[in-house]
Amino acid sequence: MHSAREILNMKKTGNRIFRFILGSFTLLTSLALAFVIIFIVKEALPTFQNVSLKEFLLTGDWMPISGIGNGPRFGILNFLAATIFVSFLAILIAGVVGIGAALFLSCVATDRMRGVLYPFIDLLAGIPSVVYGFVGLTVLVKLFLKAGVRTGSCVLAAAILLAVMLLPYLVSAVSETLLKNKDAYLKAADALGVDSWYTICGIVLPASFKNILAAMILAIGRAMGETMAVMMVIGNANLFPTLLGKSETIAAVIALEMGTAVNGSTHFHALYAAGLVLIIVLMGINFGINALRKRFI
Amino acid sequence: MHFRSFIIRLWAYVGMGLVAGVIVFLFGYIFYKGGACISWEFLTQAPAGAMLGQEGGIFPAITGSLAFTLTAVVIGAVPAIATALWIVFFCHSKRLEEILHIVIQCIAGVPSIVLGLFAYSLFVRDLQFGRCILSSGIALGIMVLPFIEVRAEKAFRELPQQMIHAVYALGCTKTHAMLTVVLPACRAELFSGIILGGCYAMGATAPMIFTGAVAYASNPTSILKPAMALPLHLYLLVAQGTASLGIAYGTAFVMMAVILISNMLVTIYARRRQRAWKQ
Repeated sequence: MHSAREILNMKKTGNRIFRFILGSFTLLTSLALAFVIIFIVKEALPTFQNVSLKEFLLTGDWMPISGIGNGPRFGILNFLAATIFVSFLAILIAGVVGIGAALFLSCVATDRMRGVLYPFIDLLAGIPSVVYGFVGLTVLVKLFLKAGVRTGSCVLAAAILLAVMLLPYLVSAVSETLLKNKDAYLKAADALGVDSWYTICGIVLPASFKNILAAMILAIGRAMGETMAVMMVIGNANLFPTLLGKSETIAAVIALEMGTAVNGSTHFHALYAAGLVLIIVLMGINFGINALRKRFI
Repeated sequence: MHFRSFIIRLWAYVGMGLVAGVIVFLFGYIFYKGGACISWEFLTQAPAGAMLGQEGGIFPAITGSLAFTLTAVVIGAVPAIATALWIVFFCHSKRLEEILHIVIQCIAGVPSIVLGLFAYSLFVRDLQFGRCILSSGIALGIMVLPFIEVRAEKAFRELPQQMIHAVYALGCTKTHAMLTVVLPACRAELFSGIILGGCYAMGATAPMIFTGAVAYASNPTSILKPAMALPLHLYLLVAQGTASLGIAYGTAFVMMAVILISNMLVTIYARRRQRAWKQ
């Protein structure tokens, strides 16, 4: 027989062990992030023995294999510009449609309708990006081809596709803010006899403006890292992005060229460096929004 | 002024209509085009023909995707749920909690293609796992970790405090409370996080292109071997041109069906288990 004290001690030990296990996993999670960053940085740095940082970021020549008379060149300006351009365009399109849908969800729909519509819209978040790319290729690109865009692949097609992919995140974030503000103001306005749509566009929308903006910027981050869907419709040519022209994003370059880059070559390291640039931009966005949120919202 | 509210109202209806239209179109298009290609043979045979997937089916891609997804979910969900438990029940420092939230947010912010780069340099090359399900599974696991953690943590926090305090009052340890009250009470949320996280991992192509998924392989027998995967198979079929387009629609059909069924399961299960403390 164990005494009460012994049982208590056993329980305490069990608790400590469990706590230790959970703590180790938490540490492991944090280490995973550290490892990802360390390895990307470690593989990226050798690039800059052959290419200056300025050349890498500010020139648009990307020639991994040296031709006659000129050595290999690595400049990601066009890719970086395309990544930013296509993401901004996508968030503009998604914003116009998504804020509308969020208005409907928060100000028109009943609780019951919301219960159906939220999971319905969430379906969009579950569709694999390859399937988006596939539909983009068989529908959007064909439409653009018919409309007279040569080969049909273009930045605008990628932006439309990306916009659809961003919709579920944007709609849920925006409608959450709108709902909160509607609950705060609408009853008072109704009591004063003000038309509810007047209240919505005069008070609820302006009050939600900062949060909507924050949600849109976070969505840009999401868009910049997207690979497959964009890669399948953007045409993948190293050109400065224009609305109806082909271009190529950083993620696409990595996905397309990683398989052929010789391990340890400058080309190989340059792809990691491009990935590092992408991470830095994304984390900058995340931290920036967090800091702004704390201060202003 | 009436005009302005009319515009806003119109915006709401048109926006919702467009979103709903896009969703119906995407599923309708794939189900309509892919339905013609679905047959028992297609689902149970290996690809055949002179070119990849000109004839035959996609069975190894289905089993391969299953293997990738299971590996990713096991690798991702265990630390995710453990981290969420630790943050909610054992972390006493607000500052540490904030830092951990930033860490989780940063992991979520790492693009999936970069996770592929990481898994390639560490697991495929340095640790010499080679291209295999495990290498990809780790990349995918890191990808779904924040996805599951956020949902789990939200569920733990939404539990009524009295419920947990009642367990403590009976003299139980935190461990006992977690294992017998917290985890079972949050079953629906954990289940939905894991299923949807699994769907997310199944559909991701970028992290597995150069870490473990290949154009052709037989059914996976070990996680130290490469395998086929549905999304990569679809990509390769599309990249190959029009000859294999029919099978491409079929492959997309299978993925969309999995997404639709999983989402419906999760929604129905969550609704049936809706608890009194949520309204």
